[in-house]
Amino acid sequence: MIATIPSAVLVGVNGTLISVEVHVSNGLPGFTVVGLPDAAVRESRDRVRAALLSSGLTWPLRRVTVNLAPSGVRKGGSGLDLPIAIGLLVAAGELDRDAVDGLAFVGELGLDGSLRGITGMVVLAEALDRHTLVVPEACAHEARLPHGDVRATRCLRLLVECLAGRRPWPRLRSHPATAPHPGPGSSDPGDGRDLADVTGQPFARRALEVAAAGGHHLLLVGPPGSGKTMLAARLPGLLPDLDRTTGLEVSRIHSVAGLPLPGDGLIERPPFRAPHHGASPVSMIGGGTAWMRPGEISLAHGGVLFLDEMGEFSTIVLDALRQPLEEGEVRVSRARGTATFPARLLLVGAMNPCPCGEGGLPGACRCSAGAKERYARRLSAPLLDRFDLAIRVDRPLVDDLISGRPGEPTAAVAMRVAEARVQAAHRGVRSNAELPGPKLDESVPMTDGAAALLELCLRDGTLSARGLHRVRRIARTVADLDRAGDTVQASHVHEALVLRSCRGALLGVDA
Amino acid sequence: MTGSSGIPTMADRQAVRDAPVNQQGTGPGQSESDLACGAALAGLPGMTPVRLAKILADVNPVRAWEALAQGRHPADEQRRFMRAVREIVPEVVAEAYERAGVSVHLPSASSYPAVLRSDPGAPAVLFSRGAPSVVDGRPRVAIVGTRSATTYGLQTASELARDLASAGVVVVSGLALGIDGAAHTGTLRTGRGDAAPPVAVVGTGLDVVYPKGNASLWREVEDHGVVFSEAALGTTPRARVFPARNRIIAALSDVVVVVECQLGGGALYTAEAAARRSIPVCAVPGSVRSPASAGTNGLLVDGCTPVRDVDDVLTAVALSRCGRDHPAPAVQSSTFVAAKGRDRPSQRPTPTRSARSAPAGSARSAGSARLDGWAGSARSDGSDRSGTRATSGRRQSQGRPLPPRPASVQASFDLGVLSDDARTVLTALEGSPTTMDAILRRTGFSLARAAAACDALTRAGAVDAGPGWWATR
Repeated sequence: MIATIPSAVLVGVNGTLISVEVHVSNGLPGFTVVGLPDAAVRESRDRVRAALLSSGLTWPLRRVTVNLAPSGVRKGGSGLDLPIAIGLLVAAGELDRDAVDGLAFVGELGLDGSLRGITGMVVLAEALDRHTLVVPEACAHEARLPHGDVRATRCLRLLVECLAGRRPWPRLRSHPATAPHPGPGSSDPGDGRDLADVTGQPFARRALEVAAAGGHHLLLVGPPGSGKTMLAARLPGLLPDLDRTTGLEVSRIHSVAGLPLPGDGLIERPPFRAPHHGASPVSMIGGGTAWMRPGEISLAHGGVLFLDEMGEFSTIVLDALRQPLEEGEVRVSRARGTATFPARLLLVGAMNPCPCGEGGLPGACRCSAGAKERYARRLSAPLLDRFDLAIRVDRPLVDDLISGRPGEPTAAVAMRVAEARVQAAHRGVRSNAELPGPKLDESVPMTDGAAALLELCLRDGTLSARGLHRVRRIARTVADLDRAGDTVQASHVHEALVLRSCRGALLGVDA
Repeated sequence: MTGSSGIPTMADRQAVRDAPVNQQGTGPGQSESDLACGAALAGLPGMTPVRLAKILADVNPVRAWEALAQGRHPADEQRRFMRAVREIVPEVVAEAYERAGVSVHLPSASSYPAVLRSDPGAPAVLFSRGAPSVVDGRPRVAIVGTRSATTYGLQTASELARDLASAGVVVVSGLALGIDGAAHTGTLRTGRGDAAPPVAVVGTGLDVVYPKGNASLWREVEDHGVVFSEAALGTTPRARVFPARNRIIAALSDVVVVVECQLGGGALYTAEAAARRSIPVCAVPGSVRSPASAGTNGLLVDGCTPVRDVDDVLTAVALSRCGRDHPAPAVQSSTFVAAKGRDRPSQRPTPTRSARSAPAGSARSAGSARLDGWAGSARSDGSDRSGTRATSGRRQSQGRPLPPRPASVQASFDLGVLSDDARTVLTALEGSPTTMDAILRRTGFSLARAAAACDALTRAGAVDAGPGWWATR
């Protein structure tokens, strides 16, 4: 007797359709899995057997062969437990063949017969969109995101009864874990990080606002204790909700990476990722051997990637960021294949001005010139070039700390940011940072004063040709935030320049 | 002498200074092999200035070398140098010095600076590039300070050095970044042929230029004056060489001026070394808000002489030297007389500079004047706790005016063209480096407005812009 059950496995970050063929014949009792299974699939034999017995079903004392087709694709993960079990039941005659007609199964089995969620359900469901999909209840919300016809149960026994028609399918509920999960580095809508907590620091606050409004990468340079991390963690709150396309992309990536998704499966708030500076290149960019895991830059897609203590990251990791930052996606190539992950993110870097941390202000720093130079060299010039904004962050002034006046709350700033983003959308881009160079003349008209100021900066060498475009984009954002209309004025250019003031002198490159 | 036990008394110092030159039993002439062995000894692995001084305490270098090689030198009982001495050929070392253009001086030689010879911590072997004789016969002032100086400090150091050099005072410094570099630059920028040459004392070997950024300045000092070091060729910049270098700077000088220094900064070593030798220490006062001036302000609290301009330094030099039975300071020489009659130009009054501009003119006299009448009384308080010589009895006299300052260092901006915003920001800067947060807080301006004002001030030359801070010049 033979049964064929459709299912799917992760290959790279995509779901691949798999046929699970189960053949039960007379002969010595045995269980063989063929078709390039990995260790997790081979182990499914023991899980399936225990789950069947725990659920009061019979394990056929006959020869069982499981083939995973197409045989050439290496299959990994535990999601094939469920289709193997169902195939076995059908092939052994325990389940009516018609009962599983048109159904696809994905899920992991527990020894007690329970159904467990697996990673990557969003993309697996996408691959199985022509079937009615049966999944564990734990990841039904992920499966429903791209898939219209999803059924889910909690355990194998219930599932068999539903399939046999003895019980109705349970109604799908919203995922119990709807509450936001403030796990480290996860997306954080409404997690209590409000810009009102930041006392004083008007310069840094303004820089955050401009970065959020224009999608400009931001470098914060300041001594320890100046609140760089606190500021960066409040940046996602200023960003508008993700549009549905981006939300789906983010949800897929997070699902593949095994990160929990919110209640209805769709991530709507920009994620915030803050990897430690010990991060390896693969963890940052993506990759892996058995299955391609998206890296931090992809997990931060649509949101904020915060690199604290940027000087402590290995130079290999930092320089690997350059190409993805420019292209908005990263292609990871391995012998087994190539995967493309989206990586359109807002990069926020934080570093001390020098090894002792006090540098910048004359007289306070105790570093030798060589030490300072070596420290600044850890960031390559091309990477520094990706930062549109670079500001010095200082410890809040005493006056501000004791005044106890809360700063402007996130909600108020986010509203201005949203308005600025709407104006950017009218120009056909998501944010002003994406304004193409050739279109700058058209989209950033300037007053004579503003043009004269830029010319002055170009002539005295404080601004390079490449920096010119950046300054114009930033000035555009500043003007948008000020609701100054179409024309960019000299004051906006001044502000744009001062928002980059920490680049040249401190880090040894020109603007 | 009491050099090892603490601060020497006045009499001790006098005795030291007056002591006949110690010939160390080598006789007046020095053989080539003495110099070669001296250089080779200084370059032995593990050699320190103190060990070298012990090894050469009673014998000439050739004998010391032989004794070390035989393992019977009393200063090397552990025979730590024996192996190295047996492997090294002094003549080869000497050739290397010759190739590098570095002269070797032993205390017995006439080329060895006379002022160092009598110092308790004098280097047993001294190396130089340039003209070592320039330190003799002229008054000498050390200008030292922090490497991370403010513009205020850099300009003050540069101006002081320039005016001192113009007045014929040799400026000694350490060729480090910041104040040291500014002092040497100032010395070289007098624009006068008869100015005193620059003198530098460095911690590294004379073939190891450190910091690299000062390479061209280093060459210039060598070309116009002299660079000293007690470190053998190839000695790399290590933390311990700099305090040792600072003691030589102090020992070479009649007066030490600390322009800007943090608390615990390296320049305080120089001040301490000077105090131990009863050499007057002067300090340039700074803003109480500036961490770069915390050390110098502390020195002032400890009783050091404040320096407002070059006159204060010249007064201190004159006091220091006349107490030492030296001939009258060379500041009375032709350089100074030549400037007679020229008026010191009054500075354009600006709000930030009003304190400096007010006393300009003849009311403040050159310190060199009229030393004869009261020199003795100034020497009487030898137990000043920081070793500084009081110049509180600042006399007014019909002194000689200073040479005019070049126009380039005058404030080159005109307040009249500044906008009201720029003036408000200028007031908010308050002298010390100020961050944008503080500017915004003090002025209440929007970022765009403050940025425009800062830019205008920077372009006008009224303000220095650093990475994320702004400071008045």
